[in-house]
Amino acid sequence: MIRLENVTKVYEGGTIAANDVTLEIQKGEFVFLVGASGSGKSTLIRLMLRDEPVTRGRIWVAGKDITTLPKWKIPYLRRSVGTVFQDYKLLPNKTVSENVAFALEVLGRPSSAIKPQVEQVLDLVGLSDKGDRYPRQLSGGEQQRVSVARAFVNRPPIMLCDEPTGNLDPKTSVGIMKLLDRINRTGTTIVMATHDHAIVDAMKRRVVALEEGLVTRDELAAGYEQRVPE
Amino acid sequence: MSRFFFLVKEALTNLRRNALVVAGAVLAVFISLSLAFGALVVNEVLRVNTIAWQDGVHVIAFLNDEGTAGVPPGSHQTLIGAVETWDEVERVDYYDKNDAWIEYQQIFEGQDDLLDIDPTILPASVRIELVEIEFHQSVQFRLEQQTPVVRQVNTAAEEIEQLENLSSVLNVLGLGMAIVLGMSAVVLIANTIRLAIYARRDEVAVMKLVGASNWFIRVPFLLEGMIEGMLGAALAVFTVWLGSSRLAEATQSFALFRLDVANQFFFRWGLLFLLFGAAAGVIGSLLGLSRYLRDAEGVGEDVPAGV
Repeated sequence: MIRLENVTKVYEGGTIAANDVTLEIQKGEFVFLVGASGSGKSTLIRLMLRDEPVTRGRIWVAGKDITTLPKWKIPYLRRSVGTVFQDYKLLPNKTVSENVAFALEVLGRPSSAIKPQVEQVLDLVGLSDKGDRYPRQLSGGEQQRVSVARAFVNRPPIMLCDEPTGNLDPKTSVGIMKLLDRINRTGTTIVMATHDHAIVDAMKRRVVALEEGLVTRDELAAGYEQRVPE
Repeated sequence: MSRFFFLVKEALTNLRRNALVVAGAVLAVFISLSLAFGALVVNEVLRVNTIAWQDGVHVIAFLNDEGTAGVPPGSHQTLIGAVETWDEVERVDYYDKNDAWIEYQQIFEGQDDLLDIDPTILPASVRIELVEIEFHQSVQFRLEQQTPVVRQVNTAAEEIEQLENLSSVLNVLGLGMAIVLGMSAVVLIANTIRLAIYARRDEVAVMKLVGASNWFIRVPFLLEGMIEGMLGAALAVFTVWLGSSRLAEATQSFALFRLDVANQFFFRWGLLFLLFGAAAGVIGSLLGLSRYLRDAEGVGEDVPAGV
């Protein structure tokens, strides 16, 4: 579903954010990218979204080499990848329903099809009674739920989440993770960058650890820290 | 089609939800186009007045009485017939001695001491309107050749010519001002709309994030710019029209200078200004958006933040 082959990213000024990263993520997997701040987690997410060009290497997303994708085709890539960010990235002048519907509007879906889909996904995230509210009228957890709803509304095969619980308290974080777990069970591949130990330890999924742009660990059903052999 | 309606709806909703920013942009268009349109109206007032000055009698030839020495009966009509054939002449009116007396009485009405004259001393005259004011010298010369029928030739053409020259200068100035103000209007409008878009740059980034194409993002902003431009232009045209017509009403009795401008002028130029406002709005939006659509391939944050 996602393949990174010898991917290197060097920012202007010489910061190496990804150093010869090779990684393969299968369909339906839930993968945590873990590591300290500055380890390159967010950069990998950005590279997979073609929000940044690679310096070297290749990335395939849903069977397409996105490193050679012309700029005008980037929107098509983004429509097949749901994204959730720490700061929610909602449109402040749109209501909850409009924010979610926007992801379908860009696909050119007719409004008769959009309405039931939006209602359905808002129901899934538990916000069916808050469709008319604006983001500023919601709590952080609720805003993140809207963000998840928007990312999932067109049933993308892949969801990329960059610290989705970074701004939330532990209890609300659990709610968001349950939601992502539920979405993952529908067959959606999820890649989530985080440095939340508790969440990674509780979920027991594949963990890819990064340090200064290098993959230092890639382990199935793992915790945040490396298992010490007994 | 549903996508088109969505984009139009988006533009209208954005206008409603960003009322303050929209008001700022409309105000900028209104102020700059009011100045430009005002300059154009001043220019039109000058043009109308120049034409008014050019209209009417340019040359008067006072005639010797028929039956006096060298002026046989019927010679006035012969002269009129001849003058009417001259290429430089637009129109000829004949005032006989009786008309001259009536006119005299009108001019000096209420001034009994001036009216106490022998009416027969007033000469008949021909009043000539020229095709072009520049012809006054040649017509004067030709009339002066018509002795002894013509007694004296008077013309106000030189003064009119001077006024005309002054008016031409003012016309050029007015038009120049309208052009300069119009150009500054485009810059001001474009800049204001750019600022409005700058305030919403995060919105553009989020739209890109969910896979909106550049045109999908651009169209509502262009429509917003167009509507803002047209609204501002409409307000400017209406305000200048209102001000101009009120001023014309208030100065109706001021005979020397006419301030009234035809509604046709307002309609024709008003329409052009609406288009101008709309175009300036669209250009402003295009300029304002270009950076944010070109810059970020997507989310639009400065990197590296979290790396």
